Amino acid sequence: MTDPLLDVDDVHQSYGEETVLEGISFEMERQDVKVLVGPSGSGKSTMLRCINRLTDIDDGDISLDGDSIYDLDVNDLRRQVGMVFQDFNLFAHLTALENVTLGLKRVLDYGEREAVEKAAWQLEAVGLREQADSYPAELSGGQKQRVGIARALAMDPKLMLFDEPTSALDPELIGEVLEVMRELADEGMTMLVVTHEMGFAKQAATDVLFLDDGKLVEQGPPEQLFENPEHDRTAAFLSRLTKLHGGQ
Amino acid sequence: MDPTQLLLQTGVGDWEFVWRQRQFFVDGTWLAVKLTFFSMLLGFVVGLPAGVVEAYGGRYSKGVVRPLGVVVRGTPILVIISLTYFAFGVSPAFVAATLALGVRSAAYQSQIFRGAIESVESGQMEAARAVGLSKLDAIRHVVLPQALRRSVPGFQNEFTIVLKDTSIAYAIGVAELLKRSYDLFSIQTTAALEVFLAASLIYFVLTFTVNRGIEQLHDRVAIPGGNQ
Amino acid sequence: MSRNTQRLVRDGVLAAFWLWFAARLLNDWFGGVLVPQGQPFFDPEPVAAAATAVREAATGLGVVGTPVGWVASALDSASFAMTYLPDLAAGAWLTVVLTTLGILFGLVLAVPLAAARVYGRVTHWVALAFIELIRGTPLLAQLFVLYFALPLAGWIGAVPFVGSGVVPPQAVWVAVLGFTINSAAYQAEYIRGSIEGVDTGQLTAARAVGLSQLDGIRYVVLPQALRIAIPSWTNELVYLVKYSSLASFITVTELFYAVEEAAYSNYRFLDLFLLAAVVYVLLVVSATTTMEWVRRRVAIPGVGGSAGGRGPA
Repeated sequence: MTDPLLDVDDVHQSYGEETVLEGISFEMERQDVKVLVGPSGSGKSTMLRCINRLTDIDDGDISLDGDSIYDLDVNDLRRQVGMVFQDFNLFAHLTALENVTLGLKRVLDYGEREAVEKAAWQLEAVGLREQADSYPAELSGGQKQRVGIARALAMDPKLMLFDEPTSALDPELIGEVLEVMRELADEGMTMLVVTHEMGFAKQAATDVLFLDDGKLVEQGPPEQLFENPEHDRTAAFLSRLTKLHGGQ
Repeated sequence: MDPTQLLLQTGVGDWEFVWRQRQFFVDGTWLAVKLTFFSMLLGFVVGLPAGVVEAYGGRYSKGVVRPLGVVVRGTPILVIISLTYFAFGVSPAFVAATLALGVRSAAYQSQIFRGAIESVESGQMEAARAVGLSKLDAIRHVVLPQALRRSVPGFQNEFTIVLKDTSIAYAIGVAELLKRSYDLFSIQTTAALEVFLAASLIYFVLTFTVNRGIEQLHDRVAIPGGNQ
Repeated sequence: MSRNTQRLVRDGVLAAFWLWFAARLLNDWFGGVLVPQGQPFFDPEPVAAAATAVREAATGLGVVGTPVGWVASALDSASFAMTYLPDLAAGAWLTVVLTTLGILFGLVLAVPLAAARVYGRVTHWVALAFIELIRGTPLLAQLFVLYFALPLAGWIGAVPFVGSGVVPPQAVWVAVLGFTINSAAYQAEYIRGSIEGVDTGQLTAARAVGLSQLDGIRYVVLPQALRIAIPSWTNELVYLVKYSSLASFITVTELFYAVEEAAYSNYRFLDLFLLAAVVYVLLVVSATTTMEWVRRRVAIPGVGGSAGGRGPA
C-alpha cells in the first residue's frame, strides 16, 4: 500500500503556555480536497503553517509522501507544498508576472524565457492574462488573491494549502477566487483549505474536518457532517456558519 | 607616539585633572543648557506659525515662507552663527549664538509642525467647519491640539540636535562645554582624551535623560486610541 | 511662478553652477587651461567699475537714489564674489570629497552594524551601545577626540605620499574617519527602520515559495527596504554636506575654512559668509534634486515610505 500524500500524526503545538493543537491526526490521499472549519482560535491556520514548517510542531509527526517533513530540506519541502495567504502577501515591488517568476527562477532554476512563459500561462489559467505587468497596488483584492494562487501553482506543488483565502475580500470578489479553487479541485489538485465558505465545502470537498479548541472533533464527507453529525458541537457550529456564509 | 605610550599616558593623573576642573565643566554645561533652552524657545515661537503657514497658507505667504525655509535649512549652522556674529554684529556672543541656533531650529520646527498638521485627517477640519467654526478657530481648537501631540517625537529629535549644535558656538567664543574642554586641553595637552571624553559623556547623559523624559511626557499626553 | 517654471529655474541654476564648478576645478588642476590658475573666468573689473558709477549716480539723486544705491551695493558684492570664487572652488571641492567619502564609507560600515543590531545576540548590544553613543554626542567633539586626543593624525601623516601632490593631508583623512563613524551610526538606524518597514508577510511568503532566508532578504525585503530608506538617506546626505564645515576646526581647508581665511584678510564678512551660504545651498539643493530624481526613477506604486532622518529635510 502506498503512503498517503499527507500524514498528520498526533500533532501537538503550543504557543507559550497556550496549547494550540492537541493530538491532531488525519490523512490525505492524492486528489483529496479537505476543508478545515472551526471557531476562531481553534488552531486551523496553525495546522496549515505546521505542514510547511512556518511553525514548528512540539510533538507528533507530519509526513509528505512518506518522508517526515523534518527529514526533508525545508526549502525543498516548501517547493512541494504551495500556500495561499489570507492577506495575499504578494511581493509588493514586483509585477504580477514577476511575482510568479521569482520562485521559478530562484528556487527551480528556470531560465528567464522559460520562467516568463510558464508564469504567463499560469496567470492566464487564473484569468489574469491582461494584468501580468501590473503591480499589486494596482490590482483588486480578488485579482491579488488569484496572483497568489498562480504564484503557488507555478511551482507544481503536490499539495496546496489555503489559509482563509477569501476572508479579506469584499463579497463581490469572493466568487472569482472560489471559482478558481473549484476548477483546481476538478483538475485533481490535492487541497487543504481553511475557510468559512460552506458552499465551497459542500460542492468541492471530499472531507470536512471540524476543529474546536485545538482538537479534531469530527471528520467526514460534507453530507455527513452537515446533515448527520456525530457531535452536537459540530452541528451547532455548522448551522451557525451556514446561516452566515450561505450555501451557494 | 606608539600605542603603549598612549596607554601609559592615560594615567590617573589626567583624570584627576578633569575632576579638579569639574566646576569649569559644570559652568560650561550650564551654558550649553541655557543656549539649548532659549534657542528651542525661539525656534518654537517662530517655527509654529511658519509651520501653520506652510500647511494652510495661500500662494503668497507660502511663497515667502517655503523658500526662506529651504535656504536656512540648506545653510550650515556654522555659517549662520558666523553671519550673525561677524557679519551682522550681534553681540554678545551668547545672544548671537541663541539667535542663530533659534533661526535654524525655527526652520526645522516648522517642518515638524507642518508634517504633524498634515497627518491630522482632513476630516477633522471638515467636521470643525461643518459645526460652524472659523478656519482659524478650527486650526486652534481641533487641528493644533492633535498636531502638537503628534509633534513630540520630532521635537525630541530636534532637542538632541540643538543641544549638540551648541558645541558649534565655540566658533564665536561662547564658553560652552566643548570650548571649555578645548581650553583645558590647551592647558594640559596630555589630558586631551580625558577632557574630550568627559565632555562627550556629559552631552550623552543630557541627551539620554531628556529623551527618556520626553518619552514619558509623550505617553502621558498621548491621545487614547493612538497617534497614527 | 508656476511649479514647472520653478523647476526649470532651479535646474538651470544648478546646471550653471556645476558647469562653472567643473570648469574652474579642471582649469586649475591642469595648470590653467582656459585662464591662468586662480584667475576668475570673467573679469570683475567692469562690474566693480559699474558699481562705483551707479553709486555716484545714487548720491547725486539724494533720497530717491536709495534703491539705486542698493543696485550699486549688489553690483559691488557681485564683483567681489567674482574675485574670490576661484579660491572658494578648491575648498568646495574638499567639501564634496569629504561628503562623498563620509557617506559611502559610512554606508559600508552601517550595513554590518544594522545587521548586528537586528540579528545579533552579543553583537546586538555592542552595536546598540556604539550607535547610541555616537548619536548622543556632538560631531565636533568626536572630531576633536580623533584629531587631538588620539595620535591618528601622526600615524597617518607618517604614511608616504600623504599631503603631497594629489593625496590630501592627514587632517582630511581624520575628518573622513570622523564623518564615516558618525554617519555609519545614523545610517545603521535608517537601514534598521526601513527593513522593519517592510511587512513581515513579504518574507513569510518568500519562504513559503521555497526561497532561503538569504534569498528572501535579497530579492524581496531589500528591494523594498532600500526604496523606503530614500528620504532618510537624502537627509543624511544633506547633513553631511552642511556639517563637513566642522572639519575646518581641525585644519581641513574645505569651503568654510577658505571663506574664513578670506574674511580675516579683507573683513568683508557679510559678502563672504553670504557667498558661502549660497554655495552650500546650491550643493544641498543639488543633492536633494538628484535624490528626488532617483526616487522617481525607482518608484513602484505601493512601495515607499514616510520620511525619516535626523530631522525634516
